Amino acid sequence: MSEEVKKSEPLFSKKNKKLITDPLNKINPVTIQVLGICSALAVTVQMDNAIVMSIAVTFVLFFGNMLISMMRNLIPGRIRIIVQLVVVASLVIVVDQVLKAFVYDVSKQLSVFVGLIITNCIIMGRLEAFALGNKPWPSILDGIGNGLGYGLVLVIVAFFKELLGSGTLTFPGIGKLTIIPEAMYTAGYMDNGLFLLPPSSLIIVAIYIWVQKFRNPELIEA
Amino acid sequence: MAINRDSNVYTVVFATVMVVIVGGFLAFISMSLKPQQKANITNEKMQNILQAIGIDETNGIARDDAGKVFNDYVKRRITINYKGEILSDKSADEAIDPQDKLDAFNIDLRKEYSMYVKPIMSQYKGDDAKIDAEMAASPNIHFPVFVCENNGKKYYVVSASGKGLWDDIWGYIGLSEDAITVSGSVFDHKGETPGLGSKIAEEWFQVQFKGKTIEEGGAYAPIKVLKPGNELNSHQVDGISGATFTGVGVDEMLTRNLAVYYNFFSTNKGL
Amino acid sequence: MEYINIFIRSAFIDNMIFTFFFGMCSYLAVSKTVKTAVGLGSAVIFVLLVTIPINYLLETFVLKEGALSWMGEEYATMDLSFLSFIMFIAVIASIVQLVEMLVEKFSPALYGALGIFLPLIAVNCAILGGALFMQQKQFANVGQATVYGLGSGFGWFIAIVLIAAIREKIKYSHVPAPLKGVGMAFILTGLMGLAFLGFLGFEL
Repeated sequence: MSEEVKKSEPLFSKKNKKLITDPLNKINPVTIQVLGICSALAVTVQMDNAIVMSIAVTFVLFFGNMLISMMRNLIPGRIRIIVQLVVVASLVIVVDQVLKAFVYDVSKQLSVFVGLIITNCIIMGRLEAFALGNKPWPSILDGIGNGLGYGLVLVIVAFFKELLGSGTLTFPGIGKLTIIPEAMYTAGYMDNGLFLLPPSSLIIVAIYIWVQKFRNPELIEA
Repeated sequence: MAINRDSNVYTVVFATVMVVIVGGFLAFISMSLKPQQKANITNEKMQNILQAIGIDETNGIARDDAGKVFNDYVKRRITINYKGEILSDKSADEAIDPQDKLDAFNIDLRKEYSMYVKPIMSQYKGDDAKIDAEMAASPNIHFPVFVCENNGKKYYVVSASGKGLWDDIWGYIGLSEDAITVSGSVFDHKGETPGLGSKIAEEWFQVQFKGKTIEEGGAYAPIKVLKPGNELNSHQVDGISGATFTGVGVDEMLTRNLAVYYNFFSTNKGL
Repeated sequence: MEYINIFIRSAFIDNMIFTFFFGMCSYLAVSKTVKTAVGLGSAVIFVLLVTIPINYLLETFVLKEGALSWMGEEYATMDLSFLSFIMFIAVIASIVQLVEMLVEKFSPALYGALGIFLPLIAVNCAILGGALFMQQKQFANVGQATVYGLGSGFGWFIAIVLIAAIREKIKYSHVPAPLKGVGMAFILTGLMGLAFLGFLGFEL
């Protein structure tokens, strides 16, 4: 470790801020690095599910990164993958148990997808690539950043799916809000049920990628 | 560094310590949250049963309160079999014992449907007489009846379970004192298409069943789920557009289960 | 009959990729050529076929509420289901490791074909997803669970081979630059998913 880095850095130095902001756009875990899509797309039919899922993933990333980073000098190299899996799985069990106890309805809707946070490649990816080699504070920021980047895509996809599919937006704690006015329906507008089906999430993400890469041409794949 | 992180001893010690810590921590979390989780599941079931007789949030009974008032409304819990024989009959004064598998409240219809009913139905598909005989012979198929009282009127809440498009669907149906007029219904599902089939859990769908009857000219007349937009008689409700198969599932589930209850009530009038 | 229905259902209707997006990460990463797609697809079938029955037995005899009753009366009320995530993932990780070693020892040819994909699979959501769905579906016996594993793996196999075949050809098409690569793969998967919706409600 070089002398410069050892000098106490301000908590939100430029470098640290980038840890949070970069995953939101240029290295977005979902659309650019193509990680963590597995559990992401299936929970986007309603906004509240997407928001709860994002919070859950951010929580696991936050503590997973922190714990692994704190233990990084203790973990035996040979079993490090298993150690990471155990840490992540335990955190996910905590999330699952808490959801079941306090927000039962949401846990019913998310069902097996909470468990799948364990194999969410974003989490294993960040633990392996970042937390194992960095101090706790940057690791925490990295966890938050990637969690938010994941959540951003989830919420955007859910926004379009729910709005166009059922004409409503559901927020945790507030409930279902009808967005499309009744007058539109009487004038002949119909909800597009196609948006509620699984394949439409893929197409919305594809359009998201299109817009994102159009605005950042350096990201275009050769 | 003093410790060799790649030595076998270190690896084993590390793994052991980690397993103990993690195991203890998780067991603690699970133990401390378990009562709350169990209460959620029980309360939901009680809430569903009460909803079928019209007791819900609009009467100030949210899910968490359902457990407290359950016994004020549900006076008897009866379990019958396919032939209509009473296997268990408990009054509200007798507390629900989770170990008593025959208590009507503990009958897990969804499980019975997938473990016992579905195999019989698929094995003897098309041969109704054989299905009838097999269902009657099975000791594992039960039907709960909840005798309820609300505002001095008697209601029966019966339950049904079947298969939608993707997965299980189930519901509770409230019958008025004559046991042929539906007073309310609640449906739920495990994995119907969100926004399409999942609408069976919405109020507008369930409220349609109110006032429908299951008898015509002294014989059983099943409630049918039609494609939306038809003229409806007193045994028909509108289906959900875009969710034909879920509608077919509800239809099949109600036809099959209500037949058992219809036969039971016609021989046990004024229970 | 029940077995055929479970197979068709898990392979086509509840398709891992098109309906649940399980295993999308490796699905997109390894679908550039048909050859590697077949390799990874076979490995997924194989691992699902082995881990689902094992996890089923684990679930039935250890984790489920009352599952420990074979150990004696006092264990009858034990409920270890909160440990299922960690147990499933442990089983999967160790089975994958074990299979890798066995295959390497006894069938070098197969190892050459599947070997490099096996480590990738431990963190493939399709495998854990399969185990969690198996837990939810409450199969009646281990046979049904095995067929479920086989069917799910087969569905995943078809999906990745199909997309790889299309991606091989799409190189010659004029795709808008920002959509090249992942973006187009997403759209293709979405369209194929729509086609697979045609299987809905299909039952023997």
